[in-house]
Amino acid sequence: MESLLSPFYSVIDRLLPLAFAEPAFMKRAILAVLFVAPAAAAVGLPLVQFRMAFFSDAIGHSAFTGVALGVLLGIHPLLTMVAFGLFVAYSITMVKGRTGLSPDTVIGVFFSTVIALGIAVISAQKGLTRNLQSYLYGDLLAISDAEVLWMAALFLAVAVYLSIAFNRILLLGVHEGFARSLGVRGRALEISFSLVVALVVTTAIRAVGILLVTALLVVPAAAARNIAREAAAAFWTAIAISLASGVAGIAASYYLDTATGATIVLVAAACFALTALLRHVRGETA
Amino acid sequence: MNRPARFHTLEIRDLSVRAGGTEILSGIDADIRCGEVTALVGPNGAGKTTLLLAILGLVPYTGRIRFCRAEEHGKGTPRIGYVPQRLDLDRNAPLTVLDFFALSTQRLPVFLGRSGKTRSEAEAALRRGKADHLIDRPLGKLSGGELQRVLLALALRGNPDILLLDEPVSGVDVSGEELFCDFLDQIHRESGFSLLLVSHDLSVVARHADRVICLNRSIVCQGATTEVLTPETLNAMYGSEARLFSHGHSDGHGHLHGEGNP
Repeated sequence: MESLLSPFYSVIDRLLPLAFAEPAFMKRAILAVLFVAPAAAAVGLPLVQFRMAFFSDAIGHSAFTGVALGVLLGIHPLLTMVAFGLFVAYSITMVKGRTGLSPDTVIGVFFSTVIALGIAVISAQKGLTRNLQSYLYGDLLAISDAEVLWMAALFLAVAVYLSIAFNRILLLGVHEGFARSLGVRGRALEISFSLVVALVVTTAIRAVGILLVTALLVVPAAAARNIAREAAAAFWTAIAISLASGVAGIAASYYLDTATGATIVLVAAACFALTALLRHVRGETA
Repeated sequence: MNRPARFHTLEIRDLSVRAGGTEILSGIDADIRCGEVTALVGPNGAGKTTLLLAILGLVPYTGRIRFCRAEEHGKGTPRIGYVPQRLDLDRNAPLTVLDFFALSTQRLPVFLGRSGKTRSEAEAALRRGKADHLIDRPLGKLSGGELQRVLLALALRGNPDILLLDEPVSGVDVSGEELFCDFLDQIHRESGFSLLLVSHDLSVVARHADRVICLNRSIVCQGATTEVLTPETLNAMYGSEARLFSHGHSDGHGHLHGEGNP
């Protein structure tokens, strides 16, 4: 696995000849962020348009239960976390479609159910709490080569999915009936998009933790919307902001000795504040 | 609009739509004739939009909807254009009119750019709707009338056999409304598609429609415009409070007001 990633590491060496990027674990962290942050931001743009931030939060919190189940069953927690996240995403989307209840009601029910289930499992299993720490706050600096490869695979999967589905997803976000009259299969698209979101969220948890994972999707997209007028501009602005705050966040956390995930999110939030100010200066308030 | 109407573009037989245990539409039999303007009128909640959605295949229904294609239009499934009633737009969405065209028509994901073909097609379609100056404007910032023209341009792009227009003049001011209707008349004459038009505005219906279908969960009556728009049918459909009254337009331009719901 090392050999697959070593060319990337030497590129990082060349591009960032700074003290913080020297240790091997820092290189892994930087590479992980370069894969995960743009994937999260790219998915975040339609997510914001669909007002699905709460959905992403619910998937993030389902990871809590996913990890607990993995430890309980003796399976690698990463696998159960991703699988459980996909299961919850699918269930929410199906129940929402069948019952006609408002999305936030359905998500609210699932949110509390998965948390309750997680707490029940953890409280029955002494000694599990320690294991959960790294999932709650993220553990970017302890990431393994295998996990970096998984993130690279996620990056590719998201790139392929969005190349195929991006136009239809955005069109569905503008007007469902109109999109469907043009042959967009709304239901299938909705399900596939929520599964991709679940995949991104559960993967990104390793970087920034359950508590902050939604920020990685929502904040760069929200900041991009502050300044971009066209779809392509918004897309690339969101990605640029996510990459910049990812790398700058890791560097800042190294020198300030703060938690990496939290620092990345703080830098992204600063970008949001800056773009909001820019928008205000331009006089676009509506 | 005096073209021969030998063909039925659409034959609707015994159509019913149920949702959540209530019958929204029941036993609908109706024909949309080739090249004609058919108006669909009825009070709020009468199921007008639902009927359009059924024709588009977007809601499940029982019964039969048959598309027939006039010989002069060639073989194959007819193309349906659809202009929805109201877009509940995200006003801040980073999306221009050209982006909206690109999302609807091009394969290339929009984040990789908009092809030159998309731009020239969008320009041509918008020019037809006298809306080409809107091409780079944000979609969320358009007025009701501007948005309508953009949607119409997009719906007409594929040269539809049938055009479904849901409340084309809602949210448009009176002068914009007349412009829109005249414009619609003009392109309809040029293209000869069948037009099914949902409207609350009976003056629009009286001036532009060849035939009228009165709907209130089932068909109240249907036929030529002059035969159908009588006080009796309006009473049956909207209740005794209903009447046509003028908004001060000398040409009898009026809106229908009444107890909307059955």
